[in-house]
Amino acid sequence: MNTEIPTMSNVPAQIEKDMAAAKDRPPGDAALIFDGVSMVFPDGTEALNRVDLVIESGEFVALVGPSGCGKSTLLRLAAGLETQTAGDIWVDRDSLGYTFQDATLLPWRKVLPNVELLMELRGFDPAERRRIALEQIELVGLTGFENHYPRRLSGGMKMRASLARSLALNPAVFLFDEPFGALDEITRERLNDELIALYARQKFTGLFVTHSIPEAVYLATKVVVMSRRPGHILASFDIAFPEPRTAELRYTSQFAEICGQISLALRQAMEG
Amino acid sequence: MNNKRAIERHAARPLAPRPSASRRLAASLLPPLVMGVLVVLAYIWTRSGLEPHRQFLMPTLEGLWSQAFSRPDVLVQLFNAAITTLSIALAGLAISIPIGLLLGVVMFRFQVMEKAIFPYLVALQSIPILAIIPLLQSALGFGFLPKVLIVALFTFFSIPTTLLLGLRSVDRAIIDLFRLQKASWPTMLLKAGFPSAAPTLFAGLRISAGLAVVGAIVSELFFLSGPGGLGQMLINAKIDFKYEQMYAALLVSSVLSISVYLLFAWLGNRLFSEWHESGSR
Repeated sequence: MNTEIPTMSNVPAQIEKDMAAAKDRPPGDAALIFDGVSMVFPDGTEALNRVDLVIESGEFVALVGPSGCGKSTLLRLAAGLETQTAGDIWVDRDSLGYTFQDATLLPWRKVLPNVELLMELRGFDPAERRRIALEQIELVGLTGFENHYPRRLSGGMKMRASLARSLALNPAVFLFDEPFGALDEITRERLNDELIALYARQKFTGLFVTHSIPEAVYLATKVVVMSRRPGHILASFDIAFPEPRTAELRYTSQFAEICGQISLALRQAMEG
Repeated sequence: MNNKRAIERHAARPLAPRPSASRRLAASLLPPLVMGVLVVLAYIWTRSGLEPHRQFLMPTLEGLWSQAFSRPDVLVQLFNAAITTLSIALAGLAISIPIGLLLGVVMFRFQVMEKAIFPYLVALQSIPILAIIPLLQSALGFGFLPKVLIVALFTFFSIPTTLLLGLRSVDRAIIDLFRLQKASWPTMLLKAGFPSAAPTLFAGLRISAGLAVVGAIVSELFFLSGPGGLGQMLINAKIDFKYEQMYAALLVSSVLSISVYLLFAWLGNRLFSEWHESGSR
């Protein structure tokens, strides 16, 4: 039972605070908003120029664009690893998952304590974090490898461990910075399938940076094309394939057609 | 005209049978054996070249046995001296390691401190430490402390420098990972910095450990009072023309120095071989 009784003095203060917060909050059920976001690095490099992007709760957005167009920078800004030089970003940073281009496992830790790391940093109870970690390890198919050091794992397995580590916090918004870029085609497709299953199960909001158009189309509910540097949003494609998606989708003509359209938009982005 | 080049046959090479256990043993024993034989030959050759009245400079093996290693009093003396030397070496490390670690962390945390401290570290390293010993003697007397300080000076340099190098090389993405969870600086240092820097730091510690024994022996050469270590035994044996005992002390010194190095090498290997690239498979 909640025994905290509001006193006369703190009630108006709380209401005022709520109102102040609500006043600036944009309407709708967005989980992540970039509102005119620009980024200029201290060395003068203009990475992003007025990016406007709204990601609704539960959407899975894939971001494609020419190399060096600022896709990764956009994710780093969303996560607060860097701060934009203009514009606003709206997101709940306490409930953020992030996977890097490399698995970034701690090489001196075995798989299990690696998966526990983020919960450990958040101050979870040891028994609780062990339970969750084992659950996530099973979910990504790494059961039996809990006591392996990362150096003994293949690239795909490392990435699975990295995903399990992020999933353990059950993030509401999941940022993926080209997580499967370094993997071979077969492993990549398998991990795509597994990510789709995880998305269907955990219902997070996703922002996924990739160089692969088929990967973007297969995973995302919306594909966004960015321009050359300084990056901004050029085009957006809704991908309306029925959920849950299955591997056969990749071999349908509709799939090929939408891939073609995005490819064309990307080609124009590189030239324009 | 036919300009097509002729193709050649490249035959397969069947897998060679694994060498037998005795052959593998021989292969691992042979290099030290060859080295040992060369040392003995060099010894015989040098000794035979000495005039008879100078042959005491290189005692015979029998002499080494009868005058040193078979005599309980010499063995006790050697043992006590080794313990004394080792305790000076370890006490020196007990000073240089914590201070070195602290300085490494401070330099890593505050760039200002790095700018302030690092040049002096390099300067300290380039001052011939032997030249400061008389000064230390005058200031601190002839006890245990000045010897320990000399060891600390000998072993200090590589600790903050290797730690700083290791801390600087922490994977940027791992730091980002910690930052995303709003981890505090001490947490990052403890859970990302130190483990990541440990293999580099250990390379430095291994060098320091070997130098600690050298430093302890050198310090004793200048201080011929107090409970004697191996360095003191070396000098006293020389003064007394007991060259067999001098050689015995020399041998024990080498064994001690190598053992300390091997101990740290073994420890490092044990700690890091499973996850670090430098480790054996």
